[in-house]
Amino acid sequence: MKIRKSENIWGWVFISLALSGLLLFILYPIIYSLYLSTFSTRGYLKHFVGLGNYKRLFQDSNFLLSLKNIFIIFIIQVPIMLFLALIFAFLLNNPKLKFRGFYRTALFLPAVTSLVAYSVVFKMMFSTQGLVNNILLSLHIIKEPIRWLLDPFWAKVTLIIAMTWRWTGYNMMFYLAGLQNIPLEIYEAAEIDGASKTVQFFKITIPLLKPIILFTTIMSTIGTLQLFDEPMNLAAGVVTGSSVGPGNSLLTPSVYIYNVCFKYVPNFGYASAISYIIVLIAAILAIIQFKVAGDRK
Amino acid sequence: MRKVLFVLLILSVLVSLGVAAKVTIWCWDPNFNVAIMQEAAERYKAMHPDVEFEIVSMAKADVEQKLNTILASGVKKGLPEIVLIEDYNAQKYLQSYPGSFADLTKKFNFKEFSPYKVKLMTLNGKVYGVPFDSGVAGWFYRRDYFKEAGIDESELRNITWDKFIELGKIVKEKTGKYMMAGDPYDGGLMRILLQSAGSWYFDKNGKPYIKDNPVLKEAVRLYKEIQDSGISKEVSGWNEWVAAFNNGDVASVITGVWIVGSIKAEKSQSGKWGVLPIPRLNLPGAVNASNLGGSSWYVLEHSENKDVAIDFLREIYAKDVDFYQKILIERGAVGSWIPAQNGPAYREPDPFFGYQRIYLDFTDWMDKIPPVDYGIFTYEADAALMGVMPDVYNGNLTIEKALEMAEKQFLNTIGY
Repeated sequence: MKIRKSENIWGWVFISLALSGLLLFILYPIIYSLYLSTFSTRGYLKHFVGLGNYKRLFQDSNFLLSLKNIFIIFIIQVPIMLFLALIFAFLLNNPKLKFRGFYRTALFLPAVTSLVAYSVVFKMMFSTQGLVNNILLSLHIIKEPIRWLLDPFWAKVTLIIAMTWRWTGYNMMFYLAGLQNIPLEIYEAAEIDGASKTVQFFKITIPLLKPIILFTTIMSTIGTLQLFDEPMNLAAGVVTGSSVGPGNSLLTPSVYIYNVCFKYVPNFGYASAISYIIVLIAAILAIIQFKVAGDRK
Repeated sequence: MRKVLFVLLILSVLVSLGVAAKVTIWCWDPNFNVAIMQEAAERYKAMHPDVEFEIVSMAKADVEQKLNTILASGVKKGLPEIVLIEDYNAQKYLQSYPGSFADLTKKFNFKEFSPYKVKLMTLNGKVYGVPFDSGVAGWFYRRDYFKEAGIDESELRNITWDKFIELGKIVKEKTGKYMMAGDPYDGGLMRILLQSAGSWYFDKNGKPYIKDNPVLKEAVRLYKEIQDSGISKEVSGWNEWVAAFNNGDVASVITGVWIVGSIKAEKSQSGKWGVLPIPRLNLPGAVNASNLGGSSWYVLEHSENKDVAIDFLREIYAKDVDFYQKILIERGAVGSWIPAQNGPAYREPDPFFGYQRIYLDFTDWMDKIPPVDYGIFTYEADAALMGVMPDVYNGNLTIEKALEMAEKQFLNTIGY
């Protein structure tokens, strides 16, 4: 069908408002920050360094540490979370299950809580004399309180637990939606053929959900790369907040960008360069994931 | 009808022309500097009824974010007349945004303020701020716990940190209480230690001074020693730290004078506390006095009512002795305007501290704080140092090696 010219013009008019907002508030900052990333700035003093900021990045041990930190979190947290989400979705999709609505709500509820609020609550629960240690101690699972937020290793564990609590239900919703599209007849047929629930899960559910699993993986990858609220709040310090978590163990690129802009001598040019590297990494990881899991149609 | 509207319009324009100058102030602690500014504004308004004040209370991080973004954008609008800046950040703002803050050199008699405060806001011989509260450090201690441990108070005065740790072990053994509480990765104590010996992360020329800094080396050794000796109760976050002394878990607290309010918040402990000079480093030139934190007022050069703001700060913060007595009693704010320290409130014995005249002691120690140039990279240096502390604690790195790494890391972080 051909669109008449006048209709075409009106179409542009109608979307022009949204489009100009998009250009002004999304496209312009993206381009401007690319330009800015070729400068080194101190407040409003700036001088041109070309690719200097990008070169500097690869020698900046704090930046490399932040990458290492999120890489560890990414490798451990994302698979655990997505696998849990998949299992929950599979269980909740069973029409015979009682109180389905209740379980769904309970699992999804963390996803609507504020990032800051839940981080603060986790910080309280995981303090050395907090709820979690008290429960573990009274159940005699541990003999000494775990130094959750005072030890570089346990601080990461705390962060992973917190993130898994917050985001599992969110991903589960995508899987549930995906499961609705898988006809129950397939499961019925499998049942008649004598396939167990486990076999059904691995041979039917996972292959048929592949596009959605890919989608959630990419979303979680980007989410991990942009991780900010949780480490920022879990690491809030005593008087000075010198390091982000014990020994900078919770330092993420986004927190580092924030520090470079507002806590350290303000260098917006360098911060822009870091953001561009993050975008690049996200793009590369997404391409790899597409190649590994994507359909070859 | 139209005529009436027109007249009203003219009138409103006239009224707005005659309307008072408005002074906007950004600060961050509702129980401290915000409340104090409100008191100051009341006093100024009593003399100048035509001046209006808008005191905006924000989180400290928000003040810094807003200030940074507006100044960096180069916009002249949207900034307040007066902003509160933490002392460690003063040079960073002055050097990153030259020309944005009003030069107050000739507007105040800076000889009347504590020298170490004036120094940190001086750039190229010009003074850019009005010194506000002091972070003079003290050693708050529980008289009852030390008595129980059989330690006489005369043993506690002007001691070294090694002695402090030794006493801490005795206290722990006899009373079961920790000597102190702290986050092993917090740089607060580090700053107290460094300044007490007149040193910082940088030398006099602003060059990084980490690897070969004997004071820093000693300070890191003490951090490890305190950790290893088990005299410090580990906490993470401000609330846990305050709870540690409010609950009576610790025998002492070493920090800035601004903590008085939080200590006194636990009324049941009245009479049990005392204050001593902080321990000193076992190094030449080290004293039993130091500083942690503190902040000052700065006037924005391009703000609308700059002159009114300066006059306001001068009339209250550099003239009103009575004002300083009131904020000391009500808020525990030790100002750094020296004439105020002759006022009656500074001599008042405090029943909470066993009728000790604590503020007389604090002002005495304040004079002994070695002035230090904080430079502009304090937070970067802090992060670099605390980044290597895990390996110092578990013994993977010697202190020398750790400081070498910290300096390298620090140099990578800066660079402009």
